[in-house]
Amino acid sequence: MDASIIIQIALGGILLGGLYAMVAFGLSLIYGVARILNFAHGTLLAVGGVAASAIFTATAWNPLLIMALLVPVLGLFGYVFYDKLLQPLTKRSHFEYTVGSVLVTVGALLILSDVAAWIAGPAPRNIPLRFEAMEFGDVIVSTTQAWILGGIIVFTIVLHFYIKKSWFGRAMRAVTQDHTGATICGVQADRVHALTFAFGSGIVAIAAVLYTMLFPVDPYMGFSLTVKAFTIIILGGIGNLVGALIAGIFLGLAEGFTSFFWATQWAPAISIVLLLVILVIFPQGFGWRKSK
Amino acid sequence: MSNYRYWLGGAFVLAALALIPTSGSAYTTTLLFTMLISYTLAQSWDWVGGEAGYINLAHFAFYGIGAYAFCLSLLNGIPIALCFVIAVVVTSIVALVVSFPLFRLRGDYFAFATLAILPLTELLAFNFDFTGGADGVVLPPKYVLFEAYYLAIGLVGLTAIATVWLIRTRFGYALKAIRNDEEAAEICGIRIFPAKSRVLIMSAGFASLAGALQGWQLSYIDPTTVFGLDVALIPIAMALLGGSGLLWGAVVGVIILSLFNQLLIVSLPILQTAIFGLLLLLIGRYMPGGLLRSGIIRNNRWIGFLGREHDRFVKATAGVTMTDGLPLPKQSDMKGQPVLECRNLTMAFGGNVAVDNISLTINAGEIVGLVGTNGSGKTTLFNCISKVFEQKSGDIIFLGQNLAGARRDDASKLGIGRTFQIPQPFSDLTVAENIAMPLMYRGAVSASLPDALGLATQFAEYVGLTDHLSARADSLNLQQKKALELARALACRPRLLLVDEVASGLTPMEVRNFVNHIRELRDNYGITIIWVEHIFSALAQVVDRVIVMEQGSIIADGPLDDVVRDERVLRTYLGSAAPEAV
Repeated sequence: MDASIIIQIALGGILLGGLYAMVAFGLSLIYGVARILNFAHGTLLAVGGVAASAIFTATAWNPLLIMALLVPVLGLFGYVFYDKLLQPLTKRSHFEYTVGSVLVTVGALLILSDVAAWIAGPAPRNIPLRFEAMEFGDVIVSTTQAWILGGIIVFTIVLHFYIKKSWFGRAMRAVTQDHTGATICGVQADRVHALTFAFGSGIVAIAAVLYTMLFPVDPYMGFSLTVKAFTIIILGGIGNLVGALIAGIFLGLAEGFTSFFWATQWAPAISIVLLLVILVIFPQGFGWRKSK
Repeated sequence: MSNYRYWLGGAFVLAALALIPTSGSAYTTTLLFTMLISYTLAQSWDWVGGEAGYINLAHFAFYGIGAYAFCLSLLNGIPIALCFVIAVVVTSIVALVVSFPLFRLRGDYFAFATLAILPLTELLAFNFDFTGGADGVVLPPKYVLFEAYYLAIGLVGLTAIATVWLIRTRFGYALKAIRNDEEAAEICGIRIFPAKSRVLIMSAGFASLAGALQGWQLSYIDPTTVFGLDVALIPIAMALLGGSGLLWGAVVGVIILSLFNQLLIVSLPILQTAIFGLLLLLIGRYMPGGLLRSGIIRNNRWIGFLGREHDRFVKATAGVTMTDGLPLPKQSDMKGQPVLECRNLTMAFGGNVAVDNISLTINAGEIVGLVGTNGSGKTTLFNCISKVFEQKSGDIIFLGQNLAGARRDDASKLGIGRTFQIPQPFSDLTVAENIAMPLMYRGAVSASLPDALGLATQFAEYVGLTDHLSARADSLNLQQKKALELARALACRPRLLLVDEVASGLTPMEVRNFVNHIRELRDNYGITIIWVEHIFSALAQVVDRVIVMEQGSIIADGPLDDVVRDERVLRTYLGSAAPEAV
């Protein structure tokens, strides 16, 4: 087997995994802070990607500009979504809170994907922007891939320090560990919840543009992304960004190599089986203790 | 008897449904068939979701597995009756197998895992050859709507009977206990894993029959129609819209949502999924507790009965007694013989040794005070004895039996009763139901539900909760919850009672009453008691001896008068002015 092919596949897997990880970041923060399983999270990427592609087709703007446009839009959506639809449920019993949030987020998932398909069509689409290729021996790397890889790494580092050092990051971590305790210490928990939804959705907007530059998106692909993101946060530890990045890359590589060496149609099974296996071995989630 | 009216009403509805195909159109029959299937799915989901409190997002996978098993069997020339059996058996086996890993998980993690099962089954159906891949399974064309319809009526009848049965039996109550607090359920003598596993298999079996009937009627199935996410959550939404855990919840939810869905299909060419999603969202946002729990329904004279909670269906047997006073058997006199022995007992959490190599003996008929500073290991010791924790090393011998590896319900059945320092009542059950729980689950002497509820009144009277018998446990204040803890522990009919700070926070008058209770329990019923308490004056009135713990070890053990003069006890626990205070 040609080593250059292996490297190509590995690079593709790392990129895909890095994008999975970015989806997982937001989901992880949201779950940690609000204890809500946000089933609509991956669908935000699908819809954001479709929107990015539509804007690009219409205007041919620089993807960075599209990103700058989508981040506040999805961020605002996240804030309002929590504030108007989920926050009122916190006053109810635990069972009602859980099932209520499942229904609200699944309902949002169905609405978002159906409306997106109605407006932009159900067909897969992307941002057909190609930078020139760089050659390292037999390995061909497009400049797009290189930029995106660099972008993911820088983004993770910045996000990591932001959450460690900033006021908002501290507030999120405080609420994650003990809701009541954080409230007593003067953190406005409800506001932090809503802002975390905004923050997580904003990250998805960035991921959506990057994803659409590399892979096709369609309005209905969101749910499988959500399942992958759940696998990643269980594997990497809730609230642990570096863990999530490593888990995401691991998943991306596993999917890439499964498609290549075995069969493409089994690649989506990896994340699901992985999720089940981890939960069976570690019923409290892998790496959970560390974040606690 | 209202019982009899229910059966008659139910039979009448089913008979009326059976007449539809002869008079109505095929369209009406198909619509009703869909509703019957939906009811079976929604109600069987609610046995796990509403009763046991486990949100199973993979319920639809059982429906799909049943449909595939049935259709594939039928395609291979197996007689049709046997095909239904195969569908149930295959699905039940799958449910049994997945219940082992799934029920290791709780709360959101359970939801995570069940959520992942659905796309996995879809993927398997897509990728395997024997399932026909994306083409699905096509049965030879045959018009079976009426046959399928009549079978569906039978299935709905069975589902309704099973639901009523769950309301009235102790199995249903085991599920309700599990929903509220698994630890407390085990302390009451309930084996929780078999109960959870049974209800999942039961729910899966009914779902598989629904799938088999639907597949037969459509004569065509493919992975998306039986495993797709948007269809999968509809039965769950139906159960929740009506009211999870209510007898009429699934019925009402199914009728409303099915009709609404039908209306959408007929009148709206586009965005059907989005509108349906909007409906799910609104249900989740405004009535996750269900339509039937709203005041408008409950306070209505005519339809208020639809919103009745389970506890309104069962009447307590009046005047059941075992003895005067508390319904506790007087225990065989074994005064002076050891009831409990701990030998070199050690319990550690990570590096933190909470109980350090403790050996002690408690004799029958003793009241022993267990004292020590906060964090000295008293509650951990209780947790080891009642098997909430498995000790790291050492032995616990109770009535000659080594408790190594025993489960919590074993300890309870052997005769170890306990209260929790922070009360853990079954919050959404009434006081009477809370106390009745262990009475139904105490091995050979277990009572039926009505009898247990009858006996519960006597325990409630003993601890002063008579006025609150039908109040929900989460509406009680802290002292009442502590009283309930004691009543529930007594209802376990213990030979050894572990009392964990029940008296703290009581007024002096209440403390005196409580001390009298403790004395009475020993004198009249022969119960041996270990009492953890900081109120020394209360202990002084009743204990035979005191054991003092400090940093996981026993530093003193003997009559109260000696212990209060012990140097180490004075230094670490009482402070120097204590002897005068006693």
